[in-house]
Amino acid sequence: MKITIETVSLRDHVTEVLEKSLDDRIIVLDSDLSKSTGTSIFATRYPHRYIECGISEASAISIATGLAIEGKIPFYVGFSLFAICSAWTQLRMACYANANIKLIGTHPGIDNGYDGASHHANEDIALARSLPNMKIMVPASLQEFEAAIDLAIKTCGPVYIRCARDEIPPIPMSEQLLWGKSEIIYDNGNDYALIFEGTATKAAIEGFEILKRKGYLGKLINIRSIKPLDIDLIRKISTEVSVLLTVENHSVIGGLGGAVAESLASLSHHAPVIYVGIADIFTESGPTAELKSAYGISGEHVADSIIDFIGEKIG
Amino acid sequence: MKMEKENIIGLKVAAIENRKKILRMIFKAHSGHLGGSLSIIDILTAIYALDVDFAAQERSRVILSKGHAVPAQYAVLNSLGIVKDEELDTLRQINSRLQGHPCITKLKEIDATTGLLGQGLSQGIGMALAKKINGDNHRVYVIVGDGEMNEGQIWEALMQSAHYSLDNLILIVDRNKLCLSGEVDKVMSIGDITSKIKAFGWNVQQIDGHNMEQIVNALHTAQIPLGKPNAIICNTIKGKGVSFMENQIQWHSATLSENQYKQALIELEQQERDVFQ
Repeated sequence: MKITIETVSLRDHVTEVLEKSLDDRIIVLDSDLSKSTGTSIFATRYPHRYIECGISEASAISIATGLAIEGKIPFYVGFSLFAICSAWTQLRMACYANANIKLIGTHPGIDNGYDGASHHANEDIALARSLPNMKIMVPASLQEFEAAIDLAIKTCGPVYIRCARDEIPPIPMSEQLLWGKSEIIYDNGNDYALIFEGTATKAAIEGFEILKRKGYLGKLINIRSIKPLDIDLIRKISTEVSVLLTVENHSVIGGLGGAVAESLASLSHHAPVIYVGIADIFTESGPTAELKSAYGISGEHVADSIIDFIGEKIG
Repeated sequence: MKMEKENIIGLKVAAIENRKKILRMIFKAHSGHLGGSLSIIDILTAIYALDVDFAAQERSRVILSKGHAVPAQYAVLNSLGIVKDEELDTLRQINSRLQGHPCITKLKEIDATTGLLGQGLSQGIGMALAKKINGDNHRVYVIVGDGEMNEGQIWEALMQSAHYSLDNLILIVDRNKLCLSGEVDKVMSIGDITSKIKAFGWNVQQIDGHNMEQIVNALHTAQIPLGKPNAIICNTIKGKGVSFMENQIQWHSATLSENQYKQALIELEQQERDVFQ
């Protein structure tokens, strides 16, 4: 089992992870954000495999599609809002063509705190998840990020990797990263199951620890692959625990919570699903950590949500 | 580069044959875009004949950004044996490779999935860049409509193509002057399109898009790499080749009656005889 020892911002490692792959079909595309996404280093080291598209996200996605048709593996790296939300019809056509394009979205959810609601990507999972052929990975550690890039290169077709800008605390990773497979990190009991996506790791782990201290014994599940989703595991767990709580740095509409609920709705018997994430509102500017607390993506709110549902434990 | 006279005649006849196929497809389907398919068929026929070799491992590509004119592309692919004769009658029907707009996963020779206007030139940039990186000296042709030039993404792509000096990229503008609602310049004027594209750093030619000699000469000129992307503005007539469809907006997308279909074929057969006069 590998264990990271310090918190990490995956955004800081984009170039380092991309260059570990020796596949020279990889082309990195940028829309004047390379200093913020970290691909400026890639541009300096591999100028012949780097395409600056200027501030034109729509065209950038279509350029990536054209590169893919000619056999390249384009990685479009930008803020999640631009990589997924700005040019959705271009992305949709790339998916329709099943083009072998890869998208790395940095600054997902409210990770771009200070820039405010215009730049917060609270809808990217919802928009990407509804596209046929699209696969989505939400890594929760540097090792998972590396494995996700590796898997994306080996996978033919469009892939979106959600790459946290905010610091992520260390989590254990033992199982190989695969499409449609989540990982149960801790299994302490059946009071609840807490299912989180990578960019909400901190709130999930802290909430899990608070609950443990208060005597609530549950499961902590790193979803890893949002599409395809680990439906078999979610359905199995839903018959074992009292409640499922999804934790995501995203709107509670159409994201991880929505995906989990969709996978259970047709079953006659399953535990209720409750959600931690951004409500159906536009957020505001602020330091990311404070914003996450203010909008409920925090360990305290995670723990309170479970306790409110189950009730106080006595003794 | 001068082309032999008999080859020009051959292209003219091929274009008329392709017009008949477009009419057949849309007549049988009771659905499809006649006007814009007929306005591009002359240049499309020439591009494939002069510069696309499907037998080669590396080849030039053709992106039909104005994807609604795809019956024209299916007609050419039929003439090359890629789309079978009986397949022409499956346009826009269930279980057909001939989707209402080009789809590369259904028909790989189509080169690009298009249909949402404005996206094809950018895809062409991606292919042209990849060809440069790979040392493949073939070309990428992108056909856009003049109404499609209203899309902002076209102008992003015009900028980017010039920035990267993509002299292996050839833009064909089908200047038929009509869009769905009426005259392009009344719906949303695109103004002096030649000057605008030149100002973006392109080489621009302007031709009669139904004159095969001019088409062939313009394509040969555009194929010479001179450090800039190349545009050919083709002045065309929407519905070209069928008298009652020419310049009539109602034939943008319409169904044909049996009598109209027969009348159109009679006109095209006469044009075919005229080629040899």
